[in-house]
Amino acid sequence: MKFTKGRLLEKAKEISTPRARRMSMTINKTDFRKSMKKLVDSEGFKHLSTITGIDVGPKIELIYHLTRENLVLSLKVKTSKKNPVLPSIVNLIPGAVLYEREVHDLLGVTFKGNLDLSPLLLPDGWPSDVYPMRKEWAPQDIRKAMEKP
Amino acid sequence: MATRIPFGPQHPALKEPINFMCEVSDEKVLSVRPRLGYIHRGVEKLAENRTYNQNLYLIERICGICAFAHVTCFSQAVEEILNIEIPSRAKYIRTILAEMERIQNHFLWLGDVGHEMGFNTLFMYSWRDRELVLQLIENISGKRVNYAMNTIGGVRRDITSMIMPSLKEGLNHLEERAKYYTEMCTKDPTVLRRTVGVGMLSPSDALELCAVGPTIRASGIPRDVRADDPYAAYEEIPFKVITYDGRDVASRLMVRLDEVLESISIIRYALDNLPNGDVRVRVPRRVPKGEAVSLVEAPRGEDLHYVRADGTEKPVRVKVRAPTLANIPTLCKMLIGENIADIPVVIAGIDPCIACAERLVFVDTATRKRWMWNKQELRKYATKWYRKK
Repeated sequence: MKFTKGRLLEKAKEISTPRARRMSMTINKTDFRKSMKKLVDSEGFKHLSTITGIDVGPKIELIYHLTRENLVLSLKVKTSKKNPVLPSIVNLIPGAVLYEREVHDLLGVTFKGNLDLSPLLLPDGWPSDVYPMRKEWAPQDIRKAMEKP
Repeated sequence: MATRIPFGPQHPALKEPINFMCEVSDEKVLSVRPRLGYIHRGVEKLAENRTYNQNLYLIERICGICAFAHVTCFSQAVEEILNIEIPSRAKYIRTILAEMERIQNHFLWLGDVGHEMGFNTLFMYSWRDRELVLQLIENISGKRVNYAMNTIGGVRRDITSMIMPSLKEGLNHLEERAKYYTEMCTKDPTVLRRTVGVGMLSPSDALELCAVGPTIRASGIPRDVRADDPYAAYEEIPFKVITYDGRDVASRLMVRLDEVLESISIIRYALDNLPNGDVRVRVPRRVPKGEAVSLVEAPRGEDLHYVRADGTEKPVRVKVRAPTLANIPTLCKMLIGENIADIPVVIAGIDPCIACAERLVFVDTATRKRWMWNKQELRKYATKWYRKK
């Protein structure tokens, strides 16, 4: 590997390399935008495989799966569940546009800077406060909410 | 005068319903907006409520064509969290089936794209040949689709020496057919006129929009998970990453045809060098706390599964990103500037499980006049338009 762990992102925490070609690190929400810019512009992580959103209780954790040559990096960032807002990375990686919309649909995270956050996966007329991938929504509750007139 | 044309979303004849809202002026496409979700089944949510073993069957049913790729990807992620190494014979069998799946997918796609360009003979021929691959897969697994071969810890069935001769014979025949198609697709005027220079995608756009699979490789970028992040037995088997520089549908065609030949040579190597030993190891039902990102080169491109476990029998999160989603922004880019007549071929070009749209509503924004065309009518229109040209 061309870099040492510390140099890739100075402010990263919980850095781990679970196996060859895999790396995972956590970043604060405030440093997110800057870190992402550094990773894309100077570290060569141009390919975003997807964004995974996970409901972890009071927060929503987002994992950006970035790839460069032979390294798959999972960049984790957390945002509060009450007001889940994160800066969009569409201007850094245009390919992120649908992934952000997907997370917005299913977990209700708003990406500031993504101009089109209209429903991508959920049907028109979906109740506005139902985010199916949040843990408080059990499959049967989602069905009930859908069937409400 | 701009006209909006909604492409899709659904009809029983479509393999996957999707909607593209195309804005066109005369014959040219100006902008495209995708709308998905018509068959969003909530698989990720369902997976959180099932055990790892039950999930194998759920994940296998995400797609009927690249089922094996998905289930391999999921199994690999769980195996990584469990920290187990599967036997090398199992790795080879996974590779063999993955490549067979690639061959059947590419033959299926070849027929589809032939159908979209109004070349139904190609469709009939390639689907006939695809039957042979399905038979070979059935010989190994007992099933034509959703083979249920994978399990966490290896594979469920062995490849015995008894079926080896029939596999090798089948491969010889497939190789002959693939070579025939390669020759035909480089010479046939119908194919050339409908694919060369159609649906252009520059390498910089492909990279920016995070394209995957044959779509990006046809723009000259050698991105292939099998080489970049080797799994199963790909580290031990020699193979080439196929790229073409044409950037058009014709290159996507050639990438796939060459990949069929490459797959055949991978399978041959794997069959000749199949290690002895067990095909699976026993694994515990509970998966310890942990997470894993698993990548697989599905026939349509990079497939990603992310699994997070908390020590129980059920996963906390299973995230699936199939290659088609990654190629949709690219597809929208390719369509811009294309002729209406080329929309079906370009959409088929990324192999999205949706070849085209069945129901179109044409709206003239100036007069508010609406009319409808179905897939056959659009195809007829496209053929006529090309004849005049």
